[in-house]
Amino acid sequence: MKKFRSVLVLTLIVMMVFTACSPSNEGNSNQEVVAQDDSGLSGELVYWSMWNSTEPQALAINEAIEDFMKIHPNVKIDINWNGREIRKTLQPALDNGQKIDIWDEDLERVTKNWGSYALNLDDYITKPYANTDGKPYEEAVMGNLFDLARHFSDDGSVYAVPYQPFVFAFMYNKAHFETAGIESAPQTWEEFNVACEKLKAAGFVPMTTDDAYIDTLLGYHLSRYKGYEWVEELVQDKSNDMWNDPAVMKTAKDFQNLVDNGYISETVGSNKWPAGQQDIAAGTVSMYLNGTWLVNEIMGSTGPDFEWGTFSYPAVEGGANGVSAANYGAQAFQINKDSESKEIAFELLAHLTTGKWDSEIANRSFGVPVSGSAAWPTQLLEAKVVFEQLDTVYPWAGGIQADTDKLPIIAEAFTKLLGGKYTAEEFIEALK
Amino acid sequence: MKKSKLMMIIFLTPAIFSYMVIFLYPSIRTSFMSLFRVENVTDAMSKWQFVGLDNYQALKESSLFVQSMKNLVNIWFWGGIIVFVLAIVFSVILTSGVKYKSFYRAIIYLPNVVSAVAMGTMWMQYVYSSRYGLFKEVFESIGLDKMAAIQWTSPDMIFISLLIAYCFGMVGYYMLIFMAAMENIPISFYEAATLAGANVFQKFYHITLPLLKDVFRTNIVLWTISSVAFFIWSQVFSPLNPEPGTVTPMVYMYQMVFGNNMVVTDRNVGAGAAVGVILTLIVVVMFVVTTRLLKDEEYEY
Repeated sequence: MKKFRSVLVLTLIVMMVFTACSPSNEGNSNQEVVAQDDSGLSGELVYWSMWNSTEPQALAINEAIEDFMKIHPNVKIDINWNGREIRKTLQPALDNGQKIDIWDEDLERVTKNWGSYALNLDDYITKPYANTDGKPYEEAVMGNLFDLARHFSDDGSVYAVPYQPFVFAFMYNKAHFETAGIESAPQTWEEFNVACEKLKAAGFVPMTTDDAYIDTLLGYHLSRYKGYEWVEELVQDKSNDMWNDPAVMKTAKDFQNLVDNGYISETVGSNKWPAGQQDIAAGTVSMYLNGTWLVNEIMGSTGPDFEWGTFSYPAVEGGANGVSAANYGAQAFQINKDSESKEIAFELLAHLTTGKWDSEIANRSFGVPVSGSAAWPTQLLEAKVVFEQLDTVYPWAGGIQADTDKLPIIAEAFTKLLGGKYTAEEFIEALK
Repeated sequence: MKKSKLMMIIFLTPAIFSYMVIFLYPSIRTSFMSLFRVENVTDAMSKWQFVGLDNYQALKESSLFVQSMKNLVNIWFWGGIIVFVLAIVFSVILTSGVKYKSFYRAIIYLPNVVSAVAMGTMWMQYVYSSRYGLFKEVFESIGLDKMAAIQWTSPDMIFISLLIAYCFGMVGYYMLIFMAAMENIPISFYEAATLAGANVFQKFYHITLPLLKDVFRTNIVLWTISSVAFFIWSQVFSPLNPEPGTVTPMVYMYQMVFGNNMVVTDRNVGAGAAVGVILTLIVVVMFVVTTRLLKDEEYEY
C-alpha cells in the first residue's frame, strides 16, 4: 500500500511539473516561413502590449501581426501580453536595457511618463505607407488625435501613434428613449431632467454609476460651469476657500435634485464596479456616463443587438463649456528610440492602424477606427457625431483628480450625496 | 579549534551574504531614499533630489495618509480583539475533546488557504451585493428587513465590511497556533484543578491563559505585522482609487511609488520610502513593547 501511494504521488508530481513547464503558445507568434519578400524588410521586434491575451483587441492585433509576418517573412515579432500591469513593469524594464521595440498604453500616459524613452515620429508620419493610398500617414488617420499627441508632449512633437480612440460621454439605451417618447438626446441640463422624468414614468431607472466613475459626474458638471482649469485649482486649493464658490453649490443642488426626484439608482451609494454598468446591460437603467469602450466591456452581457446611443455631457446655464468639450483620447503605440528596427516598427504600426486591420480591430472590439475612411461600428455612430463636434479636451474626469490626496475625500462625499446621505450643504461642509 | 572555526565561516557566509543583499541593503537604500524626491523607482541615484525631511512633513500634512494610519490602528485594535477572542474560543472548544475535531479545524482554517483576491471578490461582489447578496437574502428570509437593507459597500459601512471579511479569513490561522499551545499544557494540571473544585472558567483563567503568555506575545507581533502589511484586502475592496474607508499605509505607499491608476500624476518614490520607514519603526516598537510587557517565562512541564 505504502509503495503504491508513493508511486502515485510521484506520478502526480511529475505530471504537474510537465504541465507547469510546458511552453505556452499564447501570443508567441514565431513563424519560420521562407518565402519571397518584395520589400526586403528583415529584423526582430519585441512588442509589449497593454492588452491581456484574451481581450478582443489582443486577438485582433495578434492576427494582424501574423498577417504582417506573412507579408514580410524575414521579420519576426515577439509579443508580451502584459495587461494593464504594463503601467508598472515597462519603465523598470526599459531602464534595465531590455529589448523592447514597441509598447502601447493610454496616449497621455505614454507621452507624459515614457516620452523620454520614445522615438520622435515627426518624420515618420509625413511619409506614405502601404495602406495610405499615397497620402502621408498623418492625413490618412484622425487628425485631432495627433493634435492631442502634440498637446501632451513637452516639445510639441509626436511621440506616439494613436489607435482605439474613445470619448467620454453619456452612453444610453436607445430602446428606452424610444419607449419613453424622448425624440432627441438632451443637450442642456433642463432637457436632461425632462428626459429623466420621462424615463422614470416609463418604468426605467434613468441613470446610475459605479464607484470607479462616480467622480466624473462631479468633475464634468463643475467643468461645465467653470472650465476644467478652475476645477483643477479647486481641488488643489489647500485653504478650501474655493468650495464656497456659488458654482459648487449650484452643482451640489443640481445633483441633490436628481436624487430627490428619484432619477438615480438607489444602489448608487454602494455600487462597486462593475455592478452599475451591469445594470445597464440588464436593461434596468438607461444612462451611464462612461467612455465609448463601455460597448465592448459589457458586450458579453448585452449581445450585439443592444441599441446604443451617445450624447455629450449636457450644457448648464451660464456655463463656461458646452457639449463640445469632453475628455477624449486614445491608446497609442510608441517605438523605442534605441530600437534597431525603427522603420519596420513604423511599418507595423501603419499596418495596424490603416486599411483592413484598422477596421478589423475596431469591429472586433466595438471600438473606433483611426483611419479616416473606415466605417464606425453601428453602436458608436452617435459617438461619431459627438467626436466630430469636439473642440476642447478635458482631462480625465474634468480635472477633479488633480490632487490624488484629496480625491478619496471628494469621491466619498459625493457618493454620500448621490446616495441620499448628505444634503448639498453637508456635501460642501465635508469638503472644507 | 581552527577547523571548526573555518566550518563556521563557510556555513555562515552564504546566509549572511543573502541577508545583507536581500534585507539589509534594500532597507538601507530605502531609508536613504526617503530623504530624497525620486520620480521613478528605478532611477539612478544621480536623478535623486535631496529634500531632507520634507517627505515626512508632507506625509504628516496629507489627510489621506493620516486617514490610512487611523485605519491601521482601527484594524489592529478592533480586528485584533475580534480575531483573538474568536481564535481562543474556538481553540478552547476544539481542545476540550469534542468529536470531529480535525474536520472543524480544517473548516475554520480553510478561508486562510484561499487566495485573498478570490475571497475579497466573493465578499464584495456576492456576499455584500445590494441586489442579490448573501446577507440580503439571508436577512430577508428570516424577516430582518432592516438588516437586509444595509448597504455594505457604501462609504459608511465599507470599513466594517472590510474588517468582517478579513477577520473571517484570519481566525483560523491564530486558532491553530493557540490550539498547538493549549495541547502542550499537561492534562494533569486540569485534573488537579478539577479535584480542587475549579469550574471551566476558573480553569481557563488561572491555568490556560497564563501558560499562553508566550504564544500571545508571538501572535500579537504576527498580528501587528499583518496589520501593517494590510494591502491586498484594501485593493480588492477599492480596486481603482483608494477610499478613506479602506486606505492603509501600504496602499498609500503603492500609489506614491507607482502613481494613480486612472490619472497620470507626479510620483514621488521618496514619499513611499518614507512610509516604509515609518511602518518598519512601528513594527520594531511593537515588538520591543510586547517583549517587555509579556516577559518570557521559563516553564518546565
